[in-house]
Amino acid sequence: MVIGSGPIVIGQAAEFDFSGTQACRSLREEGYKTVLVNSNPATIQTDPDTADSVYIEPLMASNIAKIIEKEGVDGVLSGMGGQTALNICSELADSGELERLHCSLVGTQPDAIAMSEDRELFKETMERIGEPVPVSRSVNTIEEAKEAVKIIGRYPVLIRPAYTLGGTGGGIAHNEEELEEICARGLAYSRIHQVLIEESVLGWKEYEYEVMRDSNDNCIIICNMENLDAMGIHTGESIVVAPCLTLSDTDHQRLRTAALKVIRALNIEGGCNVQFAFNPANGDYRLIEVNPRVSRSSALASKATGYPIARVATKIAVGYTLDEIPNRITGTTCAAFEPSIDYVVIKIPRWPFDKFRTVDRHLGTQMKSTGEVMSIGRTFEEALLKGLRSLEIGVKGLDRVDVTDEQIREELVDATDKRIFVMAEALRRGWSEEEVADLAKWDIFFVKKLSNIIDMENRIKAGLTTDILREAKEMGFSDETIAELTGSKPLEIRAERKKNGIVPVYKMVDTCAAEFEAGTPYFYSTYGRSTEYRGDDGRKKVVIVGGGPIRIGQGIEFDYCCVHGVMALQEEGVDAIIINNNPETVSTDYDISDRLYFEPLTLEDVLNVIDAEQADSVICQYGGQTSVNLAMDIEAATKGTKTRVLGTSPDEMDVAEDRRRFSKLMDELKIKQPRSGTGYSFEEAKAIAEDIGYPVLVRPSYVLGGRAMEIVYSTEELKTYVDTAVKVSRNHPILIDKYLTEAIEIDVDCVCDGKDVYIGGIMEHVEYAGCHSGDATMVLPPFTLKQETIDEIVDITERVALALQIHGLMNLQLAVKDGQVYMIEANPRASRTVPFISKATGIPLAKIGTKIMLGKTLKDFGLKGYRPIDHYAVKASVFPFLKLPGVDSILTPEMKSTGEVMGIDEDFHTACYKALIAAGNKLPTEGGVYITVNDQDKPRIVEPARQLKEMGFTIYATKGTSTYLREHGVETTSVFRLDERQNPNAIGLMRDGKINLIINTPSQKSGAVRDGYTMRRLAVELEIPFMTTVQGAEIAVGSIKVARSQKLDVRSMKDFHGLV
Amino acid sequence: MAKGYLVLEDGTVFEGELFGAECETNGEVVFTTGMCGYQESLTDPSFKGQILVMTYPLIGNYGVADEYYQSRAIHVRGLVVREYCKEPSPMYGGRTIDDFLKTFGIPGISGIDTRDLVIKIRTGGTVKGAITSDAEGIEDLVKRLRDMPAPSESNLVGEVSCKQISSRDNGKELTVGLIDCGTKSGILRDLNARFNVVTFPYDTPADVIVDSGVKGVLISNGPGDPAHPDIAKTTVRTVSDLSTQLPLFGICFGSQLIGIAMGGSTYKLKFGHRGCNQPVKNGNRVYITSQNHGFAVDEHSLDGTGLVVNQVNVNDGSVEGVVHRDLPIFTSQYHPEASPGPCDTSYLFDWFGKMIKEGRL
Repeated sequence: MVIGSGPIVIGQAAEFDFSGTQACRSLREEGYKTVLVNSNPATIQTDPDTADSVYIEPLMASNIAKIIEKEGVDGVLSGMGGQTALNICSELADSGELERLHCSLVGTQPDAIAMSEDRELFKETMERIGEPVPVSRSVNTIEEAKEAVKIIGRYPVLIRPAYTLGGTGGGIAHNEEELEEICARGLAYSRIHQVLIEESVLGWKEYEYEVMRDSNDNCIIICNMENLDAMGIHTGESIVVAPCLTLSDTDHQRLRTAALKVIRALNIEGGCNVQFAFNPANGDYRLIEVNPRVSRSSALASKATGYPIARVATKIAVGYTLDEIPNRITGTTCAAFEPSIDYVVIKIPRWPFDKFRTVDRHLGTQMKSTGEVMSIGRTFEEALLKGLRSLEIGVKGLDRVDVTDEQIREELVDATDKRIFVMAEALRRGWSEEEVADLAKWDIFFVKKLSNIIDMENRIKAGLTTDILREAKEMGFSDETIAELTGSKPLEIRAERKKNGIVPVYKMVDTCAAEFEAGTPYFYSTYGRSTEYRGDDGRKKVVIVGGGPIRIGQGIEFDYCCVHGVMALQEEGVDAIIINNNPETVSTDYDISDRLYFEPLTLEDVLNVIDAEQADSVICQYGGQTSVNLAMDIEAATKGTKTRVLGTSPDEMDVAEDRRRFSKLMDELKIKQPRSGTGYSFEEAKAIAEDIGYPVLVRPSYVLGGRAMEIVYSTEELKTYVDTAVKVSRNHPILIDKYLTEAIEIDVDCVCDGKDVYIGGIMEHVEYAGCHSGDATMVLPPFTLKQETIDEIVDITERVALALQIHGLMNLQLAVKDGQVYMIEANPRASRTVPFISKATGIPLAKIGTKIMLGKTLKDFGLKGYRPIDHYAVKASVFPFLKLPGVDSILTPEMKSTGEVMGIDEDFHTACYKALIAAGNKLPTEGGVYITVNDQDKPRIVEPARQLKEMGFTIYATKGTSTYLREHGVETTSVFRLDERQNPNAIGLMRDGKINLIINTPSQKSGAVRDGYTMRRLAVELEIPFMTTVQGAEIAVGSIKVARSQKLDVRSMKDFHGLV
Repeated sequence: MAKGYLVLEDGTVFEGELFGAECETNGEVVFTTGMCGYQESLTDPSFKGQILVMTYPLIGNYGVADEYYQSRAIHVRGLVVREYCKEPSPMYGGRTIDDFLKTFGIPGISGIDTRDLVIKIRTGGTVKGAITSDAEGIEDLVKRLRDMPAPSESNLVGEVSCKQISSRDNGKELTVGLIDCGTKSGILRDLNARFNVVTFPYDTPADVIVDSGVKGVLISNGPGDPAHPDIAKTTVRTVSDLSTQLPLFGICFGSQLIGIAMGGSTYKLKFGHRGCNQPVKNGNRVYITSQNHGFAVDEHSLDGTGLVVNQVNVNDGSVEGVVHRDLPIFTSQYHPEASPGPCDTSYLFDWFGKMIKEGRL
């Protein structure tokens, strides 16, 4: 059995889809029957053909035990599903459950897990083998923490909770006050209520080693990595370069030898990641952390070197030794060697701060980034600039930032996501490299590389010659940057380049620095003498533009779609070529596509690959907004060549994206839309809003994906919005839509071949319209809609798909209010619900969409219209609020979730229950419920309240709700509202642990949605489930009943698809 | 920055920028895949006569420091890199590789697509080449390169071996001899940590060594062809004479000499093994080793010599170590002293001591 890592959260992203998928393939190659369990439907590993049995079930030890029993599992691979899987395995082993089921852990063993995860044991083990660790003490209370600081002797100290992922709840305390605060948090998050107080090695350099060991005690290092940011910034938050660039061989060997000693001492068979702090002043080092499993770093190391760590670790787990495992890259050598690379790899984290404007952007020991990009170049500068433009944060490279000298100083010392840009800015202003390096605690080696880039900027500005152009390209400058510096246009620079033969070559990633011949279809661009891609095999070639880094709004779903696109192309005998830059994902596994290009996803970089490949076609529908945004430009730039954009034409895509063209089409089709308008000034916006009537939905026209989208209820709020959130002007108008209050929102995904339409699924949101569909809880099929409404939705979908001449996939967002169906938007591309629907129905939409783009018809698949299913699939979202202090947990039109889970069952409430717990909601089966609802919700809350009461819950309610419930026969305990400042109130009861569930529907009056922040934030921190709608409350109550009945069945996907 | 050219005997010309000493050079062009440890490689006497290509594109990042010398001088004849670091990390003092090459009069060339060059060498085998600044003279240079004898046709060992016997008392129980064919200081370091050491020039006769009272002899690494007639007359004869009198341990070139001395033969590899990541199987264990050799012992030539292969290269099956069936003799084709590279096999020096004490491996 392979256990996945569940939903994408900060600290656990797509890397475990990659590792789990590799593990399953690796096991099946050896003839093992495999069982895969994960709650995340947006993964490749939960595809029906990844394993013999696939379960989409909540990742809880009790569930896993049921599956083990049902499937007769002999062994569980513990190291492929991140901390989540590791914790479950520990729990199953500790409880004796594994023994009872005659099942064993394969790979990393419980004692090894304990030795590396339990701080005290880890320290003891390291002391035994003579490897230095920071002076530290494990503590269970705040008082003990203070004692520990006395022993260490000085602040600052680090606080690290045991058994958490991504450093959740950790921090750096500079004084006693901070110590108390961080410890309180850390103790609460730790599964065993333990934190480590540790000597600070802040400012030391940080290095990482990826190690493998087999049962014969053969040990190798796959890759080492150097963090540009010094200790104090989590490695997941740091810019990282591989291999280490500033270590001498002697010091590298010291750390390498230490890493091997560690993996031997921990008796790990498989992969492991060892982190070191290294004092540049005297060469001292400390062992900081060991992860006894594959990790995000090992995914990075796999992509950086071409060495398939998860695959090899799996083979080791089932008993092979390294010399028995072939190196598939060279085909002639084996896995027992250390990769040598001949390029520079850079990883840059991708942070969600564009979505959370209120969050504290400072970087520290707690992860805040949601994803990362990787780039490869033959120089540091080239890799860095490619990495920066891969981030999709609106920069072309080392772009300028608007800061004061004072801000520069602050930023250098106390980093945020912007630091590298600020460093460059400081250098441009003439700050010395020494000062910048010193303040930022960077090795000046890297600062000087930034200087090189700035020197080149100046040379370009002074006059662009062919030689300078060539040098700039070798240094990784984008055409866009060069165009900006010279006042020309990117495509002009491109033409100039091509005229002079300055085009990229493609080098191979081969694990061996070209020492052996390799056939790896894994390339990166650089500017050099020769290219290694050998051109035509005579087959048709299709490029799939990938999705880039995982961020809020664009998650693993799009990688799933890209991979399915690849599979479908290959099934049709077409060469599938992937361009992507996300090292965590399955799509960037060199084994997946016919050729993989690890490149930024800008027009320039994508066109370069198209040119080099002489590609026949390009698919832009699958990489989310990243690829859709390129469609028009790719089509324009390839005009006159043989390359075509496949599927829905970019012009039709534009109809859907362009509000005016789309509104016109809807009018023609007589499909209702909420009234809307575009305001070019506050006055215009105000007039439109008043005409339409509040509340209205407002957003800037120039940002996509729900960013800065808000519901405003009054002119004052509109004023605040334009004053603080967005600037409105002639060039930057704001869009204003009527907000349909209490409307039911619907998502539809369909496939269309231009003649017929197949409706993959209709999903009803639990939350009212206005909550971003990426955040909403969704139920497939609809659970409250009348048949006639469903019929109308089907009809609208068909008409819109045909009118837009969709060839491939389309997603519609609709709202239903008072029986009327309104169009909200149409997305002519794969949506994030495609994998969810595919898993729920067993129909692989993305594959079918791809084949349709290649010219097949829906008839070929026997698909048409809408087919209901006879079970329920519920999608629930997971949110990063716990990791992002200062963020409000209220759901709004702006997407906030990082990932999703699916609950699937024949019974609606059971499906809901599975989804809710899989998403990490700690649904109580007893205790207290706090209910406070607005007036119009009062009648509907009576029944849920009554049921809770019957189950023995104590109902706490504020006066209004309390009175109403009592009048309707539900006994309650009245509490004060927070603004009454009297006890008992909700906050006090929450802190006392008396409230285990909160039902709070905000009133629709002005500003009300922003109230209750304190309570919501506390609920987040105490992990109390929080329902903000009546439907949500009803679902929670239904789910609690399921939980109390304890009759939870586990069923494989095959069982469900048998029902379709 | 002066323009320069790397010219190969097949007529291929790479344009780049010159650094280091301003002079022309030629030699056998070889590559190493070690990602760091450039200073150790440059000063490794085994590279005598060769122009070294570093496959890692960024060279000189951490500078050059006194403690990383493997001998007193740079032995490569030229250095080829994608990019050399002009402003290294200050962690180890910050001396540049440019300055380092200048000090020893060795030229370097940067801006070369080293991956392209390596693929050429991998495909066509080791080639002769030159670094020059003279664009006009290239055609002529190619002709000269073709006519030029391979560097290994001269006695390179004679150029790098010590000239006098020296000894060092480390206060250890055992005293061992080291036949210096161009030894790296890493070998001395590992010997000094365990033994008192007497170092002999490569052409020292066996009786001198036996008379010195050493209890075992290590034959070091070194440059060139182990089958060179000057070596056959000197070191090989010495080793042959010693084989029945003292325990022997051969490293790299020394391993090949033991093979020849016992009656076996060597051959030239297509492009050699140079790097820090070569897997070697010893029993059922695999060790990652540091390597730098262009020649290897021919396994088939060992029949009847008493030597048996006990270690092989996992990648290509070539001989990585032999052991004598009856006599206390063993070898490693790779470098247990690392420098640069992994220290995983430094236990071989302990084996050496154990073998001396127990009379067998």
